[in-house]
Amino acid sequence: MSIDADRLENIRMIRDSAQAIARRGDVRRARDWRDRLPGFDRAVWRKMGDLGWIGLRVDEADGGSGLGMLEFCALAEELGATLTPEPLVAAAAAVRLLGRNAGSDRLSGDRIVLLAWQERAGSLDPAGGASFAGGRLSGCKRLVPAADGADEFLVTTESGLVLVPRDAAGLTIELLPAQDGGHLATLHFDGVQGELLPGDAGRVLDEAALATAAYLLGVIEGALALTVDYLKTRRQFDVPIGSFQTLQHRAVDLTLQAALTRASVESAAACLDGGAVGAEAQAAVSRAKARASDAAMLVTRQAIQLHGGIGYTDECDVGLYLRKAMVLAPAYGGAALHRRRYAALQSPMDDIVDGVADGP
Amino acid sequence: MTTPTQTPDFDALSDEAFRAAVQTFLADHHPRHLRNPAKRLHWDEARDWYLILASHGWLAPSWPRRYGGMGLSASKQLIYVDEFERFGAARLPDHGIILLGPLLIRHGSEEQKSHFLPKILSGEHIWCQGYSEPNAGSDLASLRTEAVLDGEEWVINGQKTWTTLAQDANWIFLLVRTAKGGRKQEGISFLLAPMDSPGITVRPILNIHRHDEFCEVFFDNVRVPKSNLVGEINRGWSMAKALLGFERIFLGSPRQSAHALARLKHLARHLGAWDDPVFRDRYTQLALDLADHNALFETFADRLRRGESLGADVSLLKIHQSELFQRITDTMMEIAAEHAGLLDPIGGDRDLDPAGLFLTARAATIYGGSSEVQRNILAKSVLGLPS
Repeated sequence: MSIDADRLENIRMIRDSAQAIARRGDVRRARDWRDRLPGFDRAVWRKMGDLGWIGLRVDEADGGSGLGMLEFCALAEELGATLTPEPLVAAAAAVRLLGRNAGSDRLSGDRIVLLAWQERAGSLDPAGGASFAGGRLSGCKRLVPAADGADEFLVTTESGLVLVPRDAAGLTIELLPAQDGGHLATLHFDGVQGELLPGDAGRVLDEAALATAAYLLGVIEGALALTVDYLKTRRQFDVPIGSFQTLQHRAVDLTLQAALTRASVESAAACLDGGAVGAEAQAAVSRAKARASDAAMLVTRQAIQLHGGIGYTDECDVGLYLRKAMVLAPAYGGAALHRRRYAALQSPMDDIVDGVADGP
Repeated sequence: MTTPTQTPDFDALSDEAFRAAVQTFLADHHPRHLRNPAKRLHWDEARDWYLILASHGWLAPSWPRRYGGMGLSASKQLIYVDEFERFGAARLPDHGIILLGPLLIRHGSEEQKSHFLPKILSGEHIWCQGYSEPNAGSDLASLRTEAVLDGEEWVINGQKTWTTLAQDANWIFLLVRTAKGGRKQEGISFLLAPMDSPGITVRPILNIHRHDEFCEVFFDNVRVPKSNLVGEINRGWSMAKALLGFERIFLGSPRQSAHALARLKHLARHLGAWDDPVFRDRYTQLALDLADHNALFETFADRLRRGESLGADVSLLKIHQSELFQRITDTMMEIAAEHAGLLDPIGGDRDLDPAGLFLTARAATIYGGSSEVQRNILAKSVLGLPS
């Protein structure tokens, strides 16, 4: 799964361009938009459109950038490192599903469409919750991020996709405040008029899960960088606390989890880009999301502990990383759910394991 | 220069063709009864396999071809080791091949190279490594075995320990103190000594399995010629340390844990634990850890394939692999119930040996730099945390 040099250079450029929104470690925007609707900045959203990010996974023929999961994950990681509040993953999933219907206004960021796929917490099934019959959509979808800023929603149903404008008659939006200062919305559909579009959300949800894992990798890296820096500067007993072996070893363990998460996410992205489908692709995504969710909670929890009392305050940025992890570790499936799915699939390591078991 | 065996030009092969060649070689030549041995083989058990490898020019993958090695690139060495481990090939008494040979090639005199290298390849010299001492383990630079020049001879006094298979070796390479005062790393030299020298005593140590895998070696006024010094005097430390470059990646190979996980699956099926959901969640976590370890290993291997050198962060692999190996064997012990306390494998099947593998796993976090020392190093050299 070696990546060629041109591709590495592309990925480096995408990472660089992300610094135009916020430099690594700068979480001021995330702090500013907390508890303030719509929870993110439309001007930044348009800039993301200009940079080709919203349609990064949309084919070039359909007006997108036509890039792969390695590129998308690199971008999501950078966004995670600055706790970027704009709902890029939910919007990128929607325009990817729309494909040739994505439309230049959505890809440019002038019009914001978000995917509404989830029936209930702890589920990966996009079919339930809302149903479409007789030209009307009924039921509800839950846990839609940043919904107050959306212009429309792409709703998944058993029969296909339905595009619903935010001001459609029969749609009510209920906002639930989330730990990261944003919102997760419940959309109630009471006979909303619309038409059915073709599309199967399964693959796109896997891509969104993987991109979320990459965002969490950024969260991990951001929290870890802040914490290692703190260990070097905070002095107690006349020495930097980072000279204490217990804290050193803990920091190394967190670094190991960060390295495993990166390897897991990047290998899963390479697997999908290499054309994997079905169980192989799902296993790779489940592996990466399970790792990223667990590691993000571990690292951000420990980041609080290693900061001591200041880590428990609202003014310290490290808490923002923890509270972002609390929202995204379960999003698109948490660690336990993805472990279960992985176990149910043919494990990609089985051939290695079974190959050994053959024995003499 | 001597070339005892004309080896084929392996680098002319593609990686895929080379992998296939290694698989074929192992299938054709590896003695069946030595596959996946339960313990480290002694010379009398491993000799045939050693000589088979030597006669085909397959013994020394990392050595240049002009010294009789395979001259493999880093990428092909990874394949060689991977396939050997996957096959369950028996590990040789390989200190001469892996450690001494490359050091002589880099630092030895022409006389030393032409004298010693062919004898390693022919199996005439079997080497052991004299580094650790009773009071110099993790803190190896505190070693006190000393060598004093007396005319044309070095006189060695002291004690080495954890010397693997010293009872089978006829030569030892060792780090000795040749200067005191100053930085302790700077007074260390690298010497070669025949094991039949008067004054050398070998006392095997039984390991926790009660196998005589390693020894104590005592030096009482042992005399070796002045010419047995390798490299410059007092420069032995940096020579020995620089030796382990990219080879450190092998301590983090996923194969040991993959092998253990296969045994865990086999054991779980045998004991009826496989369908227990609590067990299956544990197993899945371990399988995921192995899969991610494999991915991490590949990122380091990719760096080597691109011709980059590895940094100190490669130690992350060793820490994770050895601790994962232990967690797998811990799980074996849990499902084995009372079998965990029995000496012999279940039903005499050596693939069902939870206790044996559990004991073997104890060493993994200690040898090659303990997990704790590795964490110390990573904290300072990778994270830049203060002393």
